[in-house]
Amino acid sequence: MLEVENIYKSYGNVKALNGVTFSLEKGETKVIAGPSGAGKSTLLKCINLLIKPDRGRIFLEGEEITSPNTNISKVRQRIGFVFQEFNLFNHLTVLGNVMIGLTKVKNMPKEEALRRAKEALEMVHIEEDLWDRYPSQISGGEKQRTAIARALAMDPVLMLYDEPTSALDPNLAAEVLQVIKELSRSGMTSLIVTHEMSFALEVADEMLFMFDGRIVHAASPVELLSNPKHELASRFLRLGGGNGFLG
Amino acid sequence: MDFWVEFLGSLLNGLLTTLQMVLIAAPAGVIMGLLLGTMRVYGGRIISSISFAITAVFRGFPLLVTLFILFFGLPEVGIYISPFWAAVTGFVLCSGAYISEYVRGSILSVEEGQSLAARSIGMTKFQEILYIILPQAIRRAIPSISNEIAYMIQYSSLAFAIGVQEMFSVSKTFNSIYFRSVEIFSALAITYLAIEGIATYIFKIIEKRFRVPP
Repeated sequence: MLEVENIYKSYGNVKALNGVTFSLEKGETKVIAGPSGAGKSTLLKCINLLIKPDRGRIFLEGEEITSPNTNISKVRQRIGFVFQEFNLFNHLTVLGNVMIGLTKVKNMPKEEALRRAKEALEMVHIEEDLWDRYPSQISGGEKQRTAIARALAMDPVLMLYDEPTSALDPNLAAEVLQVIKELSRSGMTSLIVTHEMSFALEVADEMLFMFDGRIVHAASPVELLSNPKHELASRFLRLGGGNGFLG
Repeated sequence: MDFWVEFLGSLLNGLLTTLQMVLIAAPAGVIMGLLLGTMRVYGGRIISSISFAITAVFRGFPLLVTLFILFFGLPEVGIYISPFWAAVTGFVLCSGAYISEYVRGSILSVEEGQSLAARSIGMTKFQEILYIILPQAIRRAIPSISNEIAYMIQYSSLAFAIGVQEMFSVSKTFNSIYFRSVEIFSALAITYLAIEGIATYIFKIIEKRFRVPP
């Protein structure tokens, strides 16, 4: 359902992506790991066209989305994106954040949008007493779950998570990871950039290790645990991801 | 006693003219400021330059000069407008130019993440500006905009120079007849103060109405 073919992206002399190729089947979850600056975030942003790749092609459900006549807005509606910094709309309530894409982008009637938004909020376990709060009035974990609901409400075929818990305390991260895991288990096709190693091993069908703008190793969690051949991957496992991994 | 009846009656007429000018020019100036500021940030090179030029010109001209150009200059190229509308036009151009800069500043202060999030749910650039960026930018600009309108109430007195019979003009005329400057200009000053008070109160309500918890 997602095919990424030989993607390159440079900023000046810095090669952020240096020929990335991989694919994702419907219902699959893959986790991308790797040190800072490996190009993980750039890759994710290329997939929903927030960044335009210099070279290479990306196909979503068989359609090339990197072609110049792609309707970018339509493509983004089919791809949910969750940011490290949440990026909730500050002037809208929790409910408003989830509804605005439905009413303004999908032109859905208000009642239908409301119903759809409530469903999405229930999926991420945001209780009704938070619906009228503004982003500044809820916790980081609640913000990120609301952001996931905002993406889910659009009924995406693919969810992209860009370090969704890096800005959260461990206890708040846990509630967000739980939601992502539930969605993945329920069959949502997901691509997740994370440093949370135990979560990654639990949720991923395959793990992709990136280094210097390339995928240097790909393996299922089972393969990794039984036979962590690749040096980078084994360091990731031994040191528990995150900062340990970087060191 | 006759003096006060006559003066206050005329002052009231002047007050109505002042209010009319401000009530038309303030909303129009705000709209012009919003348009110019938004065009400046999001317009391509040409639109952005046009907006910059308009802003530069009407911030650069002293308002009095703008009023003279509108009232005395335009007839020479065949365009005639009444003193009242010349004044209103001048106020709109002047306040619009200043407000556009406040709006531009507050648009630039909206975090990049807001724009990324808007695009990530499929909003077009236009939808992003209209539904995400401007609602936040305008809220941030309200205190500066209210400051500009407060100032407009005061500079509306410049309309006397092109013959609009507003409060200041009326008072000046009375003073030249009766030479009772202390009473006349004190009464005038207090009237301006009262309008400013009401304007401040209205803006306070607007700010409260659209307030988002920090």
